[in-house]
Amino acid sequence: MEPSALGNVASLAYSLPEIVLGAAVVLLFLLDLVVTRKETLGDVALVTLALVVVLSARLLWGDSAALYNGAVVVDGFALFFKLLLALAAFATVWMSLGSREIQKNGTGEYWAVLLASTLGLLFMASSTNLLMAYLALEFVSLTSYVLSGFMRHSRRASEASLKYLIYGGVASGTMIYGMSWVYGLAGSLDFRAIHTALMSGQGAALPLYVALLLTLAGLGYKVAAFPFHMWAPDVYQGAPIPVTAFLAVGSKAAGFALMIRFFFTAMAQSVGAGVYQLVGGVDWSQLILVLSMVTMTFGNLAAVAQQGNVKRLLAYSSIAHAGYMLMGFAVLNDDGLRAMLFYLTVYYLMNLGAFVVVMLVANSTGREDLAGYRGLAWRGGALPAVAMAIFLFSLTGLPPLAGFVGKFYLFAAVVEKQLYLLAVVGVLNSVVSLVYYARIVRTMFLEQPTGGEGVVAVDWHNGLLLGLLTIGTLVLGVAWGPLIDFAGRSTHFLAY
Amino acid sequence: MNPYIALLISFALCAIVAGIMCGASWLLGPKVENKAKSEIFETGNPPLGSIRGIRFPVKFYLTAILFVVFDIEVVFMYPWAVVFRRLGWMGLGEMAVFVAVLAVGLAYVWRVGALEWD
Repeated sequence: MEPSALGNVASLAYSLPEIVLGAAVVLLFLLDLVVTRKETLGDVALVTLALVVVLSARLLWGDSAALYNGAVVVDGFALFFKLLLALAAFATVWMSLGSREIQKNGTGEYWAVLLASTLGLLFMASSTNLLMAYLALEFVSLTSYVLSGFMRHSRRASEASLKYLIYGGVASGTMIYGMSWVYGLAGSLDFRAIHTALMSGQGAALPLYVALLLTLAGLGYKVAAFPFHMWAPDVYQGAPIPVTAFLAVGSKAAGFALMIRFFFTAMAQSVGAGVYQLVGGVDWSQLILVLSMVTMTFGNLAAVAQQGNVKRLLAYSSIAHAGYMLMGFAVLNDDGLRAMLFYLTVYYLMNLGAFVVVMLVANSTGREDLAGYRGLAWRGGALPAVAMAIFLFSLTGLPPLAGFVGKFYLFAAVVEKQLYLLAVVGVLNSVVSLVYYARIVRTMFLEQPTGGEGVVAVDWHNGLLLGLLTIGTLVLGVAWGPLIDFAGRSTHFLAY
Repeated sequence: MNPYIALLISFALCAIVAGIMCGASWLLGPKVENKAKSEIFETGNPPLGSIRGIRFPVKFYLTAILFVVFDIEVVFMYPWAVVFRRLGWMGLGEMAVFVAVLAVGLAYVWRVGALEWD
């Protein structure tokens, strides 16, 4: 029991977003039994998530606090991620309402499971205890398995779900084993107590290193970083498109949130001026650095070799982006963290946008392969084609788009720390990524449709979301000031 | 000396003894191969065709999972009941929420027909 952490009842006032979300999950299950028009449930989910965004934003003006006897925390960092995750879920629900795949299936469970998954993500972003973190992570995993196998009669979706389940089971088993090592070394599951134990020199470096590697398996699996990425291509390809977008943006962001909080508050020590120092004699920043380089290189090279399915290509691209974001992790200071938070937000806009276009094409033509994008601009899909080009160039990191600003801050943090090798590898990777992003753009604009691809129509519902994401990507490319300030203010962890 | 060295020696001894036993019977034992011996043992009867392609229903898994859910619920209730008086109204309220959520789950699986055998 921490003296300064709030008890269960006092914590409730700080948990309004989670309470609303939890109540909505139960309500949706009940509504599913009585409501016959299933889109209504989607609308309820949409309203709920809008409410969660507002409630989380309201907490920004409140105090930071440690809740539930120190299991969960509300601080600037947690709230930044809660906002981002709730917005990601909001966009996913919006996408799902306009998705042919989801509508065709027409079950109400989908919305409840999606909100339940969001609830888990919020807890991942705020937990300060390994047990709580593991439960949140496992909750997200279990709901994600259901979501990715949601199209029950699709072989591809079942395969995706099963592969995800098996990889996830192994990763989370490895992780909890690692946590047991951490517990054995530090005598506690609490991040702060682990930190205190390591500061006092408890725990030998080698077992600690092993424990970290094992724990990293579960976290790396959530963010799809290199040795733990194998599930991503198959799951991204097989899952319904809105779910793929949710996994690529929401799951990844929450994974990073948990990873950052664990490593920065338990395994590092702030030495002032936004700089952190390693504790426990384990150089994990070196490990993350290598992981970052390998992840981005692997993701990009595999994406270049990918000629067929666009969702699969975006899966490899998302692996590469996990690598870029890890760069901000390896520099071990607030500048790196700020760049990471900024990049995650930008990544949310551009990657989700790309998936909306994929969904529009799939809605109209049922195709996800690159050939299905041939001459997209010349057969009714001019708007999505232009938007897709903007998202893809932003993902590459070309100015004046948001992706450029995000990468700029990441590289700036890396260069300032004099990690030149990492910076060079990162820049080279960006160049390589242009190859496969530009290939899609070329297919959409420079190739003529052969006639068999079908017409792509844009309805107002999906068009509005696409428009908003495009505007976000464009605006953040020229006026990034407010967001980078907000990200900068959100890099502080509550030391209770 | 490390106190765990004895444990290590014990592990090594186990491995050596087991290795010798298995290795010796593999090396020295006579090997007679015939059709009857390599057949699948099925209570002495000759097997009736291939086991591939036979489908059997796994409906019981759903019942089993539901059972586990409610079984664990009760497991959770035992420690709660022991400290019931000390938890007071707060504890009662918390358990009410917990049971209500599970009741919604039960209503849901009932209504969607997960409890029907066919």
